[in-house]
Amino acid sequence: MLLRGLFWLVLCQLLGTALNVLLIPMLPGPIIGMLLLFAFLLLRGEVGEPLRQASGSLLKYLPLLLVPPAVGVMAYAEAISADFWAIAGALLLSLLLSIAFAGWLMQKLINRQQRRRDA
Amino acid sequence: MTVEWHAAWQALTHHPLFGVGITLGAYQLAMAAYEKTRWVFLQPVLVSMLTVIGILLACGLTFAEYKDSATALTLFLGPATVALAVPLFVNLRRIRQLFWPTFITLLVAGVVATALGVTLAWAFGAEHIMLMSMAPKSVTSPIAMLVASQIGGIAALAAVFVMITGIIGAIIGPSLLKRLGVQHPAALGMALGLTAHAVGTARALQEGEECGAFAALAMSLMGVFTAVLLPLAILLWL
Repeated sequence: MLLRGLFWLVLCQLLGTALNVLLIPMLPGPIIGMLLLFAFLLLRGEVGEPLRQASGSLLKYLPLLLVPPAVGVMAYAEAISADFWAIAGALLLSLLLSIAFAGWLMQKLINRQQRRRDA
Repeated sequence: MTVEWHAAWQALTHHPLFGVGITLGAYQLAMAAYEKTRWVFLQPVLVSMLTVIGILLACGLTFAEYKDSATALTLFLGPATVALAVPLFVNLRRIRQLFWPTFITLLVAGVVATALGVTLAWAFGAEHIMLMSMAPKSVTSPIAMLVASQIGGIAALAAVFVMITGIIGAIIGPSLLKRLGVQHPAALGMALGLTAHAVGTARALQEGEECGAFAALAMSLMGVFTAVLLPLAILLWL
């Protein structure tokens, strides 16, 4: 079951990679693969058990898979320390502003939709 | 004898599985520490990263060598990214009612979050390669890393920015939003998932089922939109 799901995931990624080279060079192969799988699920209308198992177990270990690329930061320690304050300031400020804006906007839109339904 | 000790040590640290071994070990230590304390700063990826870097420095290994010996793990990042389609699909079906508020917030606030980060970093004088690594900071790391390398940034840096953004967002987000009068669980969830991706989603789940579902939706959609639109936008803009 797990292997069959894994096969579908790998197949989607391989197709995505082929499409990336052939047609859409600005989108990474795995992302195209994800869109393909999403389109397939929309057509099918449900998630099969093999796919549910495979994606569930892969996503459960996603943090582990992210460790090796994250370690790559050791190769860029100098670049980061050179721009440290610019980076820290931009990250913190933009995060605070955008989190507040996103919440405020969604709340406003929900209120408006509710008012319209009531009317 | 000392010569043979040295040879054995060399064989061990340069074995093609050495990277996988220390990563698995570090990750389990980090997970154990996180589960015991539940402390937000002890994000498993962050702690494992620091542990692995420490081991590599102690053994005198470079990142390039580690990268080669950890390929067995990184190969699965692609299929894991594809697998994100499943939670996206499951969530999309769940949330039909609030379709338009969700869609508009996603587009407008998503653009604001991305543009604000890049503009501020640019205004503060960061270099181009830093800007490109910072652009996808609000999306979940696999997508952010792919997108960053696609638009001329550094995948590893993007992962670090993503992690920092997520952790700070999860710590400050909920109280900030409540102070601003944002009460609807869907709005709380959207804001957390949109800006603070997986870490924000985990935080949103603590607020309740609906909040968590919207956070997961916002995270997945923000990821897809960023992956599709950001490289296009950069391509047109530069």
